[in-house]
Amino acid sequence: MFRFDRRLLQHFDWVMLLMLLLVGGMALTNLYSSTYITDTGASSIFFKQLLFFSAGLVLILVVILQDYQKIAKLGYALYGIILLLLLYTLFFVKSIAGSQRWIDLGFFNLQPSEPAKLVLILVLASCYASSDAVGGYRLRDLIKPVILTALPFVLILLQPDLGTALICAIIFVSMTLYVKLRWATLGILSGSGLMCAFIGWKYLLKDYQRKRIETFLNPEGDPMNHGYQIMQSKIAAGSGRIFGKGFMEGTQGHLHFLPERHTDFAFSVWAEEWGFAGSLFFLSCYFFMLIWGINIAMSAKDKFGSILAFGCVMLIFWQAVINLFMIMGFLPVVGVPLPLFSYGGSSLLTNMLAIGILMNVRMRSFPTSQ
Amino acid sequence: MKNIRKANRKRPEPLLDAERRRDPGVTKLTHRDDSDLSGYKKKALYSLAIIIFFFAVVMTRLWYLQIQQGEEYSELADSNRVRYLEIAAPRGNIYDRRGREIVTNRPSFNVVWIRENNKIDDEWLKSLTKILGQDASTLLEKIRKMSGVPGHIPVRLAEDIDWETVARIENNRMYLPEIKIEVVPLRIYHYENLASHLIGYLGEINKKELESVDRELYRGGDLIGKMGLERLRESDLRGEKGRDYMEVNALGFEQRNLKGDEPLPGRDLQLTLDVELQKIAEDAMAADKRAGAVVATEVNTGRMLVLASAPTLHINEFVGGISHKAWQEMLNNPLHPLVNKLVQGQYPPGSTYKPVTAFAGLAEGIVTPDTSFYCPGSYRFGNRTYRCWKHSGHGSVNLKRALAESCDVYFYQVGQRLGVDRLAKYARMFGLGSESGIEMEHEKPGLIPTSAWKKKRYGKKWMEGETLSVAIGQGFDLTTPVQLALMTSVIANGGILYKPGIVEQVRDPDGKKVESFTPEILHRLTGHGKNLKLVREGMIEAVNSRHGTGREAQVDAHGIIVGGKTGTAQVVRLKVYKHLKEENIPYEYRDHAWFTCFAPGVNPEIVVTVLVEHGLHGGSAAAPIAAKILNRYFEDKMQRQQGKTGSEEMSPGGRIFFSQDLLEDTDPPPAEDGDENAAVPSPQQNQPSN
Repeated sequence: MFRFDRRLLQHFDWVMLLMLLLVGGMALTNLYSSTYITDTGASSIFFKQLLFFSAGLVLILVVILQDYQKIAKLGYALYGIILLLLLYTLFFVKSIAGSQRWIDLGFFNLQPSEPAKLVLILVLASCYASSDAVGGYRLRDLIKPVILTALPFVLILLQPDLGTALICAIIFVSMTLYVKLRWATLGILSGSGLMCAFIGWKYLLKDYQRKRIETFLNPEGDPMNHGYQIMQSKIAAGSGRIFGKGFMEGTQGHLHFLPERHTDFAFSVWAEEWGFAGSLFFLSCYFFMLIWGINIAMSAKDKFGSILAFGCVMLIFWQAVINLFMIMGFLPVVGVPLPLFSYGGSSLLTNMLAIGILMNVRMRSFPTSQ
Repeated sequence: MKNIRKANRKRPEPLLDAERRRDPGVTKLTHRDDSDLSGYKKKALYSLAIIIFFFAVVMTRLWYLQIQQGEEYSELADSNRVRYLEIAAPRGNIYDRRGREIVTNRPSFNVVWIRENNKIDDEWLKSLTKILGQDASTLLEKIRKMSGVPGHIPVRLAEDIDWETVARIENNRMYLPEIKIEVVPLRIYHYENLASHLIGYLGEINKKELESVDRELYRGGDLIGKMGLERLRESDLRGEKGRDYMEVNALGFEQRNLKGDEPLPGRDLQLTLDVELQKIAEDAMAADKRAGAVVATEVNTGRMLVLASAPTLHINEFVGGISHKAWQEMLNNPLHPLVNKLVQGQYPPGSTYKPVTAFAGLAEGIVTPDTSFYCPGSYRFGNRTYRCWKHSGHGSVNLKRALAESCDVYFYQVGQRLGVDRLAKYARMFGLGSESGIEMEHEKPGLIPTSAWKKKRYGKKWMEGETLSVAIGQGFDLTTPVQLALMTSVIANGGILYKPGIVEQVRDPDGKKVESFTPEILHRLTGHGKNLKLVREGMIEAVNSRHGTGREAQVDAHGIIVGGKTGTAQVVRLKVYKHLKEENIPYEYRDHAWFTCFAPGVNPEIVVTVLVEHGLHGGSAAAPIAAKILNRYFEDKMQRQQGKTGSEEMSPGGRIFFSQDLLEDTDPPPAEDGDENAAVPSPQQNQPSN
């Protein structure tokens, strides 16, 4: 069962590890600055995240030791656990700031919607890899994946956590498009998607969620509230100019003008303190990591590995794009963190696991000894 | 557990297939897998393109935000974090010629509210009303008034609070967020209303003024000079505001103080004025509740030593805006405190004009010092009789006596021979009939009539009879007190008309001079030294001879000889009042009293001119005030010289010089007639006059 080949070590994905360490290092540096308290120095938030990052590295080590095929066997079991956890948060957890997202584990507040995304990728990948669709998937072939997505999607939406729910939907769409789809299916899917969006806007969205979108479309209409966050974020990034204000010197962040500066708006702090040059370096590393991930998906030795790797890349990619667009004023504030960069244990561990899975797929895409 | 088992049961083949694929024997599955994977490769390439596209979009956006718009956002970031408070600059001080403080500043404390959140908390308001002792409604009204003003400008809730209130606010700092104490310099007037028309006052800048000033320098609530030197010298006095910069966080709490700009105090003004003399003049006028003006000037420079307009303004009533009631009272006050009589009051000069007529007569060769006219008490010209003030007549009168006793008939005849236009030509040389250019507002030019002027003004020919009136300073003639002082200076200094100066020096706060007074000559009469000396002698007689009209200006100490001329300006000639005794004529119909003089008799250095509105007689109402000023002036001068040169006394020597040299061509002094005031006995006889 457990066969660890020395040749696996030979194919160890040093590139991905290097990128992860670079991105993670910058994330921790940034967190140190953004949560620094003048009187007491580095905050406990920083040390917590450092701990999570180390734990994440250990987790990656554990994950890459197992063949991803074996991990996949756990897929549905994990899926079931996650659904239970999501239900638990919905019924038994007191709401924090209007939503029920976290389960208190004593040492750590677990946000089950984070691993839910990764587990969804796992089961979707198994699902698509198992079904044989010559000439592309028909609508009825998609019933199973749609249900697999819809369950966590609804549960997360009810928390309510629009951002994460949307990510689940986007992951589903990306992965479905990755496998072969009939044109008719695509047409029906996108048509009903638009329909859902319309109905959702009309009846399902909470007031504050609608407000965020309205504010985004007309920021001047509401300058002191929701538009304020985006405005301050743009001021933070913009005022960094070419070389930034310097580490720990960002005024927007340190003087609390920037909201959520260690979570959703962490990158604004980076852009403010390191400027365009620093942002270019960071984003180059970040996107290279994603491109490397696509490379892994392309070179995977099997269908499941490829879909799984692709799903993991999409998980990070879409969250990153939504977060960056939000920070730069292209999108409303939807509460999506920048994976591997924003503070948050559940999110960090989930995304590091995704990286671990990518490394796993990479290591096993080479012919190994019999 | 159940879930897992279920999942296991349902587990699709491909997992197993993939495991099996490693086995080269299972070729079929491998083949299918490979074809699918090639489809994925195509998709993966698409997604690669999408990822790179989004990377490009993000980088472009960052380029736009950080480089294209970077400067703008930097400014926005700064305006987020930097707040400033303006610090008012102390206004320049105003000193007199000896450096005595007339107007300086003291710190005053204002309570201001910095509207960080622009929210009014009930508790906060309660503590404020308690500490400040104001109603909540009064405070809210002040806040409401400022609602249209940008949020970073503080709202002033209380002004010039006492120390106790300052302490209470500091002690309750915890409960009064956003409340600050602002230190603003306020004016102190060391001599209260001294020279109020000259110095002026400050007031809150009004909307109209705000429109015309530099908005960088002023904003609503600032004080600005409203009148007098405070207004005219606003740019010198105001200085430059400072700013206290501080960094605040998003909640508006101060994080640290940034480097600020200290306010630059305004420039100090040193005036040519002598506060002591000014005070004597104002007190003398106020003692009898008189309206009028007193001017004293240095003969050889044009420096003004006294510029008093009575009654003075109550400066404190103007500070912070004058009430309607107080304003109305001032408008209706028969003493007209709002009028700066020094330059805005135009009065007929009366007999004080006679030295000009005398000089013109001498200059044109119409009379010599020895030419005599006979005064029977009136003069008939055309079909009218022009009376002399002394109805019994002066008898035979020469120049000196004419001036000393102010004989009208003598000057009727000189005037008639001169004609109005020639007379006007000389009057202008003495600074009459046009603005002096003194640094005071709304100066009036007075009036010296000519035939052309009358033609233009009334379309009528000049009547020769009118010349007779003009020659004795009545009729159309109008002068201001400052003009008369200048006229007297020209007589006293031998023909030079100086521009009157008020500001001796303007100094930067570091003491550097930026402006210094230098005498400015407006006109110079040349070749008439002898004639002017004759006029001076006549004026000295007027003060010092037994029948002189200005005897009350004799300076009792130090033996200083004064030369002067009284004048009575007729206000109105109503038959009703003609036969009344003077003291029964209503105040506003009484004649104005003039006295103008110079001293000492030789090498005069000071001229004093006094106008008492409705004072009836220059000799009794105006001359004593001049005498007081001259007394103090020479006393002070003596003390200074004694201080400098020990016991050596200059003035008595001056008098000896005077009596030996100057008086020797007048008649020898007759016997003392019991008038103990007569320092120089009168040479002439005749009935006593008033």
